Amino acid sequence: MTQIQRQYVRVVIVWVGVLVALYIFQELFS
Amino acid sequence: MTWVDWAIVAIYLIWIVWDGLRLTKRSNEIEGYFLGGRSLPWWAVGLSVMATQLSAITMVGTTGQGYGDGMRFLQFYFALPIAMIVLSVTLVPFFHNARVYTAYEYLERRFDAKTRAFTSFLFLLSRSMSLGVVISAPAVVFSVVLGLDLTTTALLIGVPTVIYTMFGGVQAVTWTDVKQMVLIVVGLIAAVVVLIMGLPNDVGLAQALRIAGAAGRLQTFDFSFDLTNPYTFWSGTIAALFLFCSYFGTDQSQVQRFLTTPSVDAARESLLMSAYWKIPLQALVLLVGVLMFLFFLYTPSPMLFNQVHERAMQEGPAATEYRALESRFEAATASRSAAARVMTRAEAAGDSRNLGIARAEFRRQDEVARAVRNEAIALVRQTTGDPSYSDVNYVFPTFITRHMPIGLPGLLVAAILAAAMSTISGELSALSTATVIDFYRRFVRAEASDAHYLRVSRLATGFWGLFASIVAVWAAELGSLIEVVNRFGSFFYGSILGVFILAAGFPRATANGAFVGLVAGMGAVAWAASATNVAFLWHNVIGAVTVVIVGLAVSVLAKR
Repeated sequence: MTQIQRQYVRVVIVWVGVLVALYIFQELFS
Repeated sequence: MTWVDWAIVAIYLIWIVWDGLRLTKRSNEIEGYFLGGRSLPWWAVGLSVMATQLSAITMVGTTGQGYGDGMRFLQFYFALPIAMIVLSVTLVPFFHNARVYTAYEYLERRFDAKTRAFTSFLFLLSRSMSLGVVISAPAVVFSVVLGLDLTTTALLIGVPTVIYTMFGGVQAVTWTDVKQMVLIVVGLIAAVVVLIMGLPNDVGLAQALRIAGAAGRLQTFDFSFDLTNPYTFWSGTIAALFLFCSYFGTDQSQVQRFLTTPSVDAARESLLMSAYWKIPLQALVLLVGVLMFLFFLYTPSPMLFNQVHERAMQEGPAATEYRALESRFEAATASRSAAARVMTRAEAAGDSRNLGIARAEFRRQDEVARAVRNEAIALVRQTTGDPSYSDVNYVFPTFITRHMPIGLPGLLVAAILAAAMSTISGELSALSTATVIDFYRRFVRAEASDAHYLRVSRLATGFWGLFASIVAVWAAELGSLIEVVNRFGSFFYGSILGVFILAAGFPRATANGAFVGLVAGMGAVAWAASATNVAFLWHNVIGAVTVVIVGLAVSVLAKR
């Protein structure tokens, strides 16, 4: 795996993490 | 605003022009002027990409949306990180390896001159008009909030930007974008801190957020699959993917940014910076709006945030009706505030039964306050005859100028100016590049010295700056024309992506196939926009898919 391919994987992981965090935030305070 | 705030704004304007002009000597040949000698660092380009996309309309409009509608708009950006990966794998290496100046230049190499000229012309037409709106929107808000003449505020935004873009080229654009981006983030964080500190002493942040949640302002996700609803999880992840691929991958104002990097991987890294930071940044912008909702829950707020319209209504023919609405609004907001305090006390006491009752009462009072405000907006629309009247852009500037401590209004006004200028400079540079490379050097004078092209490029930048400023000043009169042109621009966003998909992904696609496909795609979007209620984000999908299908069909049939 090249360095840029590792970056793509990292972006997807962070993306999923951010969406899950936003959902938890919404549910926590609603 | 105090003299200290005005001094901060003046220092910002002088500093940014001086900083941009310092880079003039590095832009003494055409590649340096348009592409920074293809040597700019990825992190600076990444910040520039983000700064170009974040305009003053985002600063004043999106915060206003957060105030009235909560976090829902964030869904619009959900597909952006994935779009950046798709572009990094597909179009970025094509453009970079082709060593082009414009995205449309690549289309001539792949198809023919008419496809290049047509797509570049569409870009010039729609971008120059939308640039007028990018200047006029904050200019109108500043003229109302700061009590200045519209021409003065438009020139205050436009002239410094034109000066440093004209002389410093893309290097000035990129390095000023970096500083402007830092200023924008610092301004937003300062606003968040002031808003949190402005909450009553007996209301903690977590309690305040629960109140915002009870009012539905923290509802981010909408999983309903409704093609007529512009902001759902599905439109944000599927339809917006096409929009962002088109914007970041085929719009010269963005493509030019990553072409200034020295390698394909550096270009990819610059795009991936937005993939990491765009959603959190946009969440911060919307959070400022939500916190303003909480702030005005405990501080008396005007019913309408546009003070010019407010005064006109108070003294105009519908004054009696308007004053009655004001009284009802005052009563509703007082009851809403009281209900919020009861809710907070019940929560602190761990009284779950009363908390439920208080929560329901708070929601009811919030609905009442919203309904009265909507009645007031409807009355303004009826009285002024302007059916699109909205005060969403005035909420944040009103908070800045009336409720922030000395020094910070200056910082925030400078941050909004920075957001406007970073977008304007990037778009001016792109308009100039497309004009000179796709038209002047291609059709008027193919062989000339770098010094000649540099002179023409600077003139082109100045011309588009002047054009956009005139459009901005006359925006009110040109309202319907600008709307028509912007609507026309939205017809080709998905379609132009379809042409690039054909170019890069389908070797069998021919020039005529791509051209016919483009026209068919624009026609399909025009039909969808006029004959159906399908939300605008899905138009990008319709356009791109139509172009690819029609383009391939024409290419295959013509070869037989």
